[in-house]
Amino acid sequence: MRTLKTSEAAALLNVSPNTLRAWERRFGYPKPQRSAGRHRLYTHGEVAALRDALQQGLSISSAVSRAREALSTDTHTLVGALAGFELDRADSAMESALALRSVERSVEEVLLLSLDELGERYGTDSAPWAFAARWADGWLRRAQRLAPPPVRRLAILVGDATRNELDPDALAVRAFELFCGRSGARVMALPVGGVSGLSDVVESLSPDAVVIAGGHLPDDDVALWAYRVRAAAGPLPMALYRRSQHGAKVRTTGTRILLDTPFGAHRQLLALIDDRQATRVQEVAALSVLEGDRERRKVQA
Amino acid sequence: MRRLRALRPVEVDERGLEVVSFCGHCAMQPAPARHAPPSRVCGHCGLGLVLQATIDLAPRHDEPFLVIDTTLSVCAVSAGAEALLDIDETQAVNKHVADFLVPADANAPGAENLLALLVEVASGCGESRTTIVRPRQEFGVRFKARIGPCGPPHAALLVLS
Repeated sequence: MRTLKTSEAAALLNVSPNTLRAWERRFGYPKPQRSAGRHRLYTHGEVAALRDALQQGLSISSAVSRAREALSTDTHTLVGALAGFELDRADSAMESALALRSVERSVEEVLLLSLDELGERYGTDSAPWAFAARWADGWLRRAQRLAPPPVRRLAILVGDATRNELDPDALAVRAFELFCGRSGARVMALPVGGVSGLSDVVESLSPDAVVIAGGHLPDDDVALWAYRVRAAAGPLPMALYRRSQHGAKVRTTGTRILLDTPFGAHRQLLALIDDRQATRVQEVAALSVLEGDRERRKVQA
Repeated sequence: MRRLRALRPVEVDERGLEVVSFCGHCAMQPAPARHAPPSRVCGHCGLGLVLQATIDLAPRHDEPFLVIDTTLSVCAVSAGAEALLDIDETQAVNKHVADFLVPADANAPGAENLLALLVEVASGCGESRTTIVRPRQEFGVRFKARIGPCGPPHAALLVLS
């Protein structure tokens, strides 16, 4: 996927960088990603689609609407391919989506949206859904295997409480794992149902956060699993993902409830871990200052 | 040479009528382009595309207006029209014009022709006309509306005054 800096995108559209940022605020399009240095990076496909639409448009709004429509053809193609049980065409639709968008946006805006549409159209207990969900699960797992190796000293343990790969939440959970992995974290997913030998896994991974994802398994099973993890790893930030909970936190335990979208959820979780690590650094710094004072007093005495 | 500087090029449409350019959002006339090619995006507000209409039809800076295509879908809503009709352009685009404006007097002769007039004008073959419209679901408010062709591409401009 080719990306453009703000100045490059502005030049392609023959507008100023300020105008481009004003469009982002007003129309939410083009929607940039951020580089490691927090600079805007626009996907070439989005900018090119807008440039073409502007030439024939009567307003920025109508051009944006037309550009969005042009990009949504990938979703229509994927829905058509999966509804027609054509695996090769489904793979090609995702390839085309990836040419225009990041992996994260391709997954959220094309793969998951297409699956949602198929679920609504045929029901999640139908054969077309089963076919599509298996394909999507395979695609996401393949993408996870192809993700770059972990670069951050960060590990996340995911307690999978979904039914199986046909559970509508399972794809969002796979996408969440993929996005966390692509952010440089080491991710391990374990079924919440199995608790024997859990402490060995937790000790070996030493996770920085635990996420319980999916709403199929009952709270008792989840509570037992979480208890075992805490017993092995000590107090850790815990978060719930797609467990039909509302609000920002569970009132009794303070467990964080993540957003429903995989991208939003993974950003929230990383921010949660970063906050905790920053607090820990501050605590260590404060402790070392205290110890330094104590040493000095001893010397003076 | 000094006298020649006062001259300005006059743009005319296919019918030979003088046209002026204006922003489809803020209605400001674009500054003369210093660099080629000139952008279609308004250099003042950055939120509208530069359109053209005949000099008698083009909106003044304070006049609210809408741009409608041949399918009677709203394509642009000026900042003034957003405030006047309490609508947001991003929500109004692609909706039918009758969702926002209707003939002021449904019983008046030719009132049913408002939509036909808009289609005719939007296809680029109609003349500018004046009619009375009102916001949908509101009965005490009336606006005089100038309707005529604008573009490019071909569309109908409905200026409220």
